[in-house]
Amino acid sequence: MIRTLNILLVCSAIGLLIGVYALKYASEDLAAEKVQLARQIERQQADLSLLKADWAFLNQPANVGPVVNRHVAELSLQTLTQDQFGSIDLIPMRLKAPDTAGLDGLFEALNQGVDPIQQLIKESN
Amino acid sequence: MAALDAGSLPIAVDGARKTRRHLTKARIRWVVVALFLVFSTVGGRLVQLGMVVQDNTIEGQTRDIITASRPPILDRNGLELAVDIRVPSLFAEPRRIIDVNEAAEAIHSVLPDLNVDWLRQRLTGDKGFVWIKRELTPAIQDKIMQLGIPGLDFVTESKRFYPGGPEASHILGAVNIDNQGIAGIEKAMDNNDVALLQQLGLARGNELAPVNLSIDLRVQHAMRDVLADAITRYQAESAAGIMMDIKTGEVLGLVSLPDFDPNNPVTALQKDSFNRITAGIFELGSTMKSVTIAGALDSGKVKINDSFDARFGVRFGRFTIDDFHGKHRILTVPEIYKYSSNVGAIKVMQAWGKDNFRAFLAKLGFDQPEPLELPERRMPSVPKSFSEIVAATAAFGHGLSVSPVAMLRAMAAFANDGLMVKPTLYKTSLDDAKQTYQRVVSEQTSHEMRYIMRLNALEGSGTRMNKFAAGYRAGGKTGTAEKVINGRYDSSKVLALFASVFPLDNPRYAMMVLVDNPHTEPGQGGHTAGWNAGEATGRIIARVAPMLGISPDFSPMLDTELVPPELH
Repeated sequence: MIRTLNILLVCSAIGLLIGVYALKYASEDLAAEKVQLARQIERQQADLSLLKADWAFLNQPANVGPVVNRHVAELSLQTLTQDQFGSIDLIPMRLKAPDTAGLDGLFEALNQGVDPIQQLIKESN
Repeated sequence: MAALDAGSLPIAVDGARKTRRHLTKARIRWVVVALFLVFSTVGGRLVQLGMVVQDNTIEGQTRDIITASRPPILDRNGLELAVDIRVPSLFAEPRRIIDVNEAAEAIHSVLPDLNVDWLRQRLTGDKGFVWIKRELTPAIQDKIMQLGIPGLDFVTESKRFYPGGPEASHILGAVNIDNQGIAGIEKAMDNNDVALLQQLGLARGNELAPVNLSIDLRVQHAMRDVLADAITRYQAESAAGIMMDIKTGEVLGLVSLPDFDPNNPVTALQKDSFNRITAGIFELGSTMKSVTIAGALDSGKVKINDSFDARFGVRFGRFTIDDFHGKHRILTVPEIYKYSSNVGAIKVMQAWGKDNFRAFLAKLGFDQPEPLELPERRMPSVPKSFSEIVAATAAFGHGLSVSPVAMLRAMAAFANDGLMVKPTLYKTSLDDAKQTYQRVVSEQTSHEMRYIMRLNALEGSGTRMNKFAAGYRAGGKTGTAEKVINGRYDSSKVLALFASVFPLDNPRYAMMVLVDNPHTEPGQGGHTAGWNAGEATGRIIARVAPMLGISPDFSPMLDTELVPPELH
């Protein structure tokens, strides 16, 4: 009776020992992994802070301004002047029905090789 | 058996069981003793370990402060003005270095700007920690890692980075290598609470809530751009400007040129790169006439349609004060403002009373240092009481030196229905700003002031400004103050000023522009303020007004509506 009990106790002791050690090693591994992750997070945060600073630098008006100035000629950019502002009231209301006569006139003119819009631009210049 | 029984003690022999029990007891005792010894050793060791003070310091500072971070500073729209970046710093543990010469030369090969002898000296000895070089780039960190020298290691430090460079330098200020503010808003924040957070070790990582300033980076950039252009265009020594929302007191832009690069704080110590707006006090010249006239109108002793005799100069003993743009006739109040008549301003002030004038200056806060949050500030110099001649010169802005912010505040109050707001560099809501309102003039006076400011832009000294800012209903007052050189006023060296408000039909922004010692632009009219500070103001308004949501309106109705009923 006692012998079986002893054997049982020894076996369970061994089992528990193995279990405890397994737990210990597992937790050590986990701790190592945690430290590694923390390091990785720290490094990535450092990288992120640099990228954010880069982004902020590139977005600064002080940085964008000279880039715009370099391309004024190529993109034919102009400074906005006060008389180029308009308001929503200046846009005419949409017509109730399509202006068929006007459209026909436009197509006829285009067929004859006359572009009325180009003409308007020329006149205004 | 009898021999045994007689005269001797009976021999008592313990039974086998009893003997064993004794033996067991003795053994148990020994085991207990042994266990006690073992456990007390373990316990003693634990206590000993608990007593060890860990060396957590780096050359006298705790690690927490070294890696302490500061809150990011953003402009009112969320653009970054100052951010923390994490950078590696190289340190050495000399006691762990095996070959000092080899280590010194290897480090020198990666960081050639370090002296080899200095390195050798630094790495020799039995110290546990010495800095080699702080705030390196990750690329250099990799190279040093590859050298494989024992006893070298890195800590990650927070470094302040200003993406805009000098753009907003006078507002932001700078920090030292230990991330403590040494100037500007950085220092102001430290004085409040950041330093405390750092001391408590709470300011680590990127957890600090960002601070929103009132600055609009676009406005700041446009102002700096125009003022830098003004310095070259008018061959001026320096230029400065500040723009404020008159309703909330938020400063949208504050520029003082020459400025410095906060990423390299040493440049802040260069001559002339001080903040002229907050740390400078100036004689503000004719811009003071706005104050004189507003106060006189508000007192009721002078009416908008009153006339004053400006035919002759005013004599004070040996001195005669005369007009620069002399009309030498009888002028109405709006004409005094429009022609910037010194004589007229003196007459208006005299009709009002010099003590009332002095009291009005105190009411406007001209006696106090300007209330912005920046630590750089100076006490204004205003005489405690005015004599006749001091009051007369003060009426057109000479003999008293105040910060441009004080004048900006006064102009803002005259336009904002007479309510003076406390200027601030932090983003503020209108409701909070209203708590700081102080009534300085009546609504009617404010109305009249808006009219004469606009009149000056349409017909007076502000026409150059209005040419550039056409459509934005701007108005204001020029000021050309002669500078004191060796104790005398020198008419060839002037400080040109322009104090403006726009759009005057619904005033929203006030601005103050200073151009120091301007010259005549080749092919242009003159070197008085309208030609330089005025033009610069006009250019700034034309650039920033669309950003601030003000669209140009050329309707003449807006200007006629400004005319007070007495003058119809």
